[in-house]
Amino acid sequence: MRTWWTRTARGVGAVAVMWVSANAMAQTPTARIVSAANAFLSTLDQKQRASVLFAFDDEQQRALWSNLPVAMVRRGGLRVGELSPTQRSAALALVSSALSPRGFEKVQQIIEGDEVLKTNEGNNPMFGKDLYYISILGTPSATAAWMLQFGGHHLALNITIAGEQGILTPTLTGAQPALYTVKGKTVRPLGQESDRALALLSALDETQRRQAVLPYRVADLVLGPGQDGQTIQPEGLKASAMNDQQRAMLLDLISQWSGIVHESAAAARMAEIKAGLGETWFAWSGPTTAMPGRNITAYYRIQGPNLVIEYAPQRLGGDLSLHVHTMYRDPTNDYGRKVAAR
Amino acid sequence: MRTRLVAAVAVVHAIATTAFAHRLDEYLQATIISVEKDRIHAQIRLTPGVAVFPIVLAGIDRDADGVISGAEQHAYAERVLRDLSLTIDGEPARLRLVSSRAASVEQMREGDGDIQLEVDADVPQGGGSRRLRFENRHQNRIAAYLVNCLVPRDPAIHVTAQRRNYEQSVYELDYVGGGDRPGPPFPGPWAGVMGWLGAAALLLFARIGLSGSATPRPVRRAGLRHRCGG
Repeated sequence: MRTWWTRTARGVGAVAVMWVSANAMAQTPTARIVSAANAFLSTLDQKQRASVLFAFDDEQQRALWSNLPVAMVRRGGLRVGELSPTQRSAALALVSSALSPRGFEKVQQIIEGDEVLKTNEGNNPMFGKDLYYISILGTPSATAAWMLQFGGHHLALNITIAGEQGILTPTLTGAQPALYTVKGKTVRPLGQESDRALALLSALDETQRRQAVLPYRVADLVLGPGQDGQTIQPEGLKASAMNDQQRAMLLDLISQWSGIVHESAAAARMAEIKAGLGETWFAWSGPTTAMPGRNITAYYRIQGPNLVIEYAPQRLGGDLSLHVHTMYRDPTNDYGRKVAAR
Repeated sequence: MRTRLVAAVAVVHAIATTAFAHRLDEYLQATIISVEKDRIHAQIRLTPGVAVFPIVLAGIDRDADGVISGAEQHAYAERVLRDLSLTIDGEPARLRLVSSRAASVEQMREGDGDIQLEVDADVPQGGGSRRLRFENRHQNRIAAYLVNCLVPRDPAIHVTAQRRNYEQSVYELDYVGGGDRPGPPFPGPWAGVMGWLGAAALLLFARIGLSGSATPRPVRRAGLRHRCGG
């Protein structure tokens, strides 16, 4: 009797899982994100909801992100460490719903890295996985624009959902340590951003390299936090002077940022970037080699008509290959201003 | 005694951890220049690293009371201005302080605060091709300089080249389209005739120029590397 019950329960469970999966697959990405947002909100009490919700046009909250730890630059919203296990799962499910599996993995690795930093720093309370904040600007909707923010030290995701569009700019990713080991596995949260850039540089011929490599030092991000909507004069090597293979490598490198958001939004973004590829520039400053298995110690920038990517190693901590900040922007559409205005 | 020791340990710990997380031994000075037809505008963001903050603070907080007063902030901004120079087509241009803003001493001590200056300068009338040269010598022993130019908002202005020395303390920008001469102050019936006369004069000069040898304009200055930005 017990065996029968167990088999039946398993069968029902399997059918339920299949139904839920099929239902989820039938939903559009935006519908899934909205559903995850409402599920998260339903786990919160009145006070928590008041803390996590902001007006969509709250400019102060929009710009309240940084590479710095939360103890130094306050963030708005709810701190993950304050949430119950159920609320925390729902919060991460919401973040996950807006990202690709690869993007969510990257986010988890950045957070895990901060936990490693905390341990390396003698359990320093300034760092760690509990110190990430979630906030929602506007009302989760499948049609009207709203925003999901998630971030803390070395992480700032600003995701605007507007109908079926998902806009991930501006987004900051960083890592310290940029190389660590967890359960015997070596992790480099921003390793692809480093390796693929170096591969592209190595694929350039001498003339192209002379154009791409800037003859001056770039000490930090030019368009980091607080520099919204700025478009600087581009420099370096134009993609129109690259061959097909090099351009494919450039797109592959760009996808390390554009592919953080969920797949359909990433595909739309990549189409936009491809359309402006001829006017996209690749510039490099610093050493043109790297130790195997380590990140580059050079700065680079990719800039197109609606794209700015910066990769800036940081001197702090001693080893440039172990601490990096990156920035991903669309100066024409940061915070989804272009689509939200429609 | 014990309390003092605990406090001292806490301070050392705070400095050590902050230093690990943030800009440490450099004074980041990031300038973003925008070019308009008759005006240059620059936003300068000064971010002292934790380790060099005492040096920077000593230059700001002259009465050493641990607070940056409005007068001290203004005086410091003017001092920074004196360490900057701007020339347009080789002629010095006077930089004016438009505004200054400073984070609290506590924020800057933690490597989290900056000083922001906005300055501008008039662009004298000139030809179609212009050359701007900006130099920053402020706290050069501890400085890490960044200097960039915004894509001009005015579609008539085009940047043709940018050059910097390795440290980015010297920056040169070539652009065209900013020096359109203003129209005649009192246009009247003679304007058309004057226009034709001007065109005839230009043609005459062009003929002379083609047949003679023009004096080449210096393209580079020592220490600057050429980069063309489209």
